[in-house]
Amino acid sequence: MSGTTVPAESNETEAEPSVSAATGQEEIQRELSHEEYDPKGTLALILIYFAILMAMWVFMYFVEFLGNELVVVG
Amino acid sequence: MSTQTDQPSFVDRYPEEAAVVRRSLLVAFVMLGIGALMGLVQALHRTNVLRIIDSADYYTVLTAHGVFLAIVFTIFFLVGLYQWAVTRSLDRSPVDIRFTHAWATMMTVGSLMAGAAILLGFIDEVPVSADVLFTFYAPLQAHPIFYAGLAIFIVGTWMAGADWFRTWLAWRKDNPDERIPLQTFMVLTTMIMWYVATLGVAVEVLVFLLPWSLGLIDSVDPLLTRTLFWFFGHPVVYFWLMPAYLLWYTVMPKIAGGRLFSDPLARVVFILFVLLSTPVGIHHQYVDPGIAQGFKFIAMTNTMFLLLPSLLTAFTVVASIEHGARQRGGTGLFGWLTALPWRDPAFTGMALAGLLFAAGGFSGMVNAGMNINYLVHNTLWVPGHFHLTVGTAVALTFMAGTYWLWPQLTNREIYSRPIALAQVVMWFGGMALMSNAMHVAGLFGVPRRTAEPQYSFDFPALFGTIGELRLQIAVGGTLLFISTVLFLSNLAFSLGTPKREGFGQTIPPALSGPEDSPAVLDNMKLWAAIAVVLVVLAYALPLGAIISDNGLFGVGIEPYPMLVRPLFDWAGATLAGLAEVIA
Repeated sequence: MSGTTVPAESNETEAEPSVSAATGQEEIQRELSHEEYDPKGTLALILIYFAILMAMWVFMYFVEFLGNELVVVG
Repeated sequence: MSTQTDQPSFVDRYPEEAAVVRRSLLVAFVMLGIGALMGLVQALHRTNVLRIIDSADYYTVLTAHGVFLAIVFTIFFLVGLYQWAVTRSLDRSPVDIRFTHAWATMMTVGSLMAGAAILLGFIDEVPVSADVLFTFYAPLQAHPIFYAGLAIFIVGTWMAGADWFRTWLAWRKDNPDERIPLQTFMVLTTMIMWYVATLGVAVEVLVFLLPWSLGLIDSVDPLLTRTLFWFFGHPVVYFWLMPAYLLWYTVMPKIAGGRLFSDPLARVVFILFVLLSTPVGIHHQYVDPGIAQGFKFIAMTNTMFLLLPSLLTAFTVVASIEHGARQRGGTGLFGWLTALPWRDPAFTGMALAGLLFAAGGFSGMVNAGMNINYLVHNTLWVPGHFHLTVGTAVALTFMAGTYWLWPQLTNREIYSRPIALAQVVMWFGGMALMSNAMHVAGLFGVPRRTAEPQYSFDFPALFGTIGELRLQIAVGGTLLFISTVLFLSNLAFSLGTPKREGFGQTIPPALSGPEDSPAVLDNMKLWAAIAVVLVVLAYALPLGAIISDNGLFGVGIEPYPMLVRPLFDWAGATLAGLAEVIA
C-alpha cells in the first residue's frame, strides 16, 4: 500500500512504535526481507487448525448428525 | 501509553475528515452501549437468572440488540474507518466535504428514526413499535417510521460509497498509472459488494414492506420478502467483516512490528468477496418450503467457495504477524508467538478476535451444509455462531482498532492501556464462555429467539446440564457487558486526557507489493460486472419461481384476528352450490 509518507516502492521498514504499545515495549531487532522470511510458524498453525476442523467435522457429522434421533417437539 | 513518533497525526493533517470519523465512531459507540445493555437483559432473562422485563417485551429487546449492534454500530464504525482509510491512503480530502457531512447526517437521521420506532415498543401508550427483529420478516410488521428510517440509512451508505468512489476518481486523474492503494482498494470493493447486496433490501423495503405498513397494499408474500432479505442478509455479514479485515491486513502487521505478507493476496480476497458474498443468501433458507432443493444446492456450493477468502486471510494475516514477531527476535516453530506485543491492547484484541473467528469458521461450515444444517437450524447454535463472527471477530477488532486509531483522531492518548488490555481479554473470555454454551445448547435443540425456551430435553452428563449451560451464558453475557462498559468509559475518560503531539502513524509497505500482481485486479468494472452475472444466475430462477407460484404480493397474509373473511368464503361457497343446484 502506498502510505502517505512511505512510498509503495520503499522497502524500508518503519521503526516507529504503535501508539497503542505498552511503555517499554521492545523495538524491532532486525529487518527481514521477503526473501529472508519463510512463514513456517504460520504453516504449522494452519495445519493444526485444519486438523481441528477435520476432527470436529467428523464428530459433528457422524456423531451429532447421524447419531442422533429426530427431536419431535409437541 | 507514552509512545511517541515524529509523524503528524491524522487529525493534524486532515482535521475536518477526522471530525467526520470521530462523529461516526461516537454514534457507533453510543449504539454499542445501548445494544450491549439489551444483550445483558436478554442473557439474564432467557436463562432465568434475572427477569426485569415482561416476556412480552423480549422481542423489543431482541430487536434493539440486533438492529443497534448489527446494523448501526457496525456500519457507523465502517463508514468512520473507511473515511479514514480513503483519506489516508489516497492522501487527499473528499471532493466536497459538505457531501461527506450530508451522508453522515442522513445515516444518523435514519438510525434515529428506526431506533425510535424500536424503543417506543416499550411504551404501550404510544401506538408505535417495530418488534420485527433484525431480520424484519413479514408477516411481522413494524411502524412505517422503522422502514423509512432504514431506507434513509441505506441511502446514506450509498452516498458514502459514492463519496469514496468520487475521491478515488479524482485521485485517479492525478495518478493515472499508479495502482490503487490497498486500503482504498478494500473500501471500493466493499462498496461494490454493498451496492449489489442492498438491491435486495431496497426492493424489499421500498416496494413491499413500507407500502404494506402504510396500508397502500394489502399483503406481501413472506417467502418473497424473506428471500429478498437474505439476498442482502448474507452479504451484510461481509459488510461487517471487511472493515475488520482492513484492520487485520493493514494495521495489525504494523502493530505486530512487521509488514503485510502479500498485497496481491489481500486484493484477491476482497475480489472474492465481491463475487461470492451475494449469490449465497438462500443458504439461510434451507428449511423454507417454496424454494427448490436445486437452488439451495447452488447456494451451498457458492457458500463453500466463500470459505476460501477467509482461509486465505487466515494465512496472510498470521504470516504477517509472524513476520513482525521474527523481526522482534522471535524464533522457533511456535516460539515466535511469545515475541508478539501481547501487552498492546490493539494487537491482543485483534489477535483474540481472529482466534475466535477461526472457531466461528467451523460453526459456519456446519451452518452452510444443507444436510447438517438441519441439526442446528433455528437453535441457539446459530446465535452462538454469529456472536463469534460479528460479535467478536468484528466487534472486538473494532474496539481494539479504536485503541490504535483514537489517539490519531484526537491527539489525546487512551486514558488507560491496562484497562484496555483487561477489556479485550474479558471480551474474549466472556464470549468463549457464552458462545460455547450456546453452541452446545443448540446441539441439544434449545431454540433461539424466545424468552421462554422449553428445556425439556435429556442431556447426557458428559456435556453438562442445562443449568450449567444457562449459567455459562449468564456469566458470559455479564462479562461481555462489563467489557463494553470498560471500553466506553475508557474512551469517555480519554476525551479528557491532555492533548499532545506525536501520535502520527505510518503503515509500512507490504513485503510483496501490488507490483507483484496483475493490473486486472484493479479493474473495478470487470469485478462488478461478474458479480452481477453471478447474482443473476443464482437468483433469477428462484425469485421467478416464487413470483410465478404466489404472485408479487403473495396469496394473502390473512389479517388477525380473522373474523370477516371466512364469512365471505362461506357465503361464496354456498351461493356457488345453490347456483349449481338451480342449473
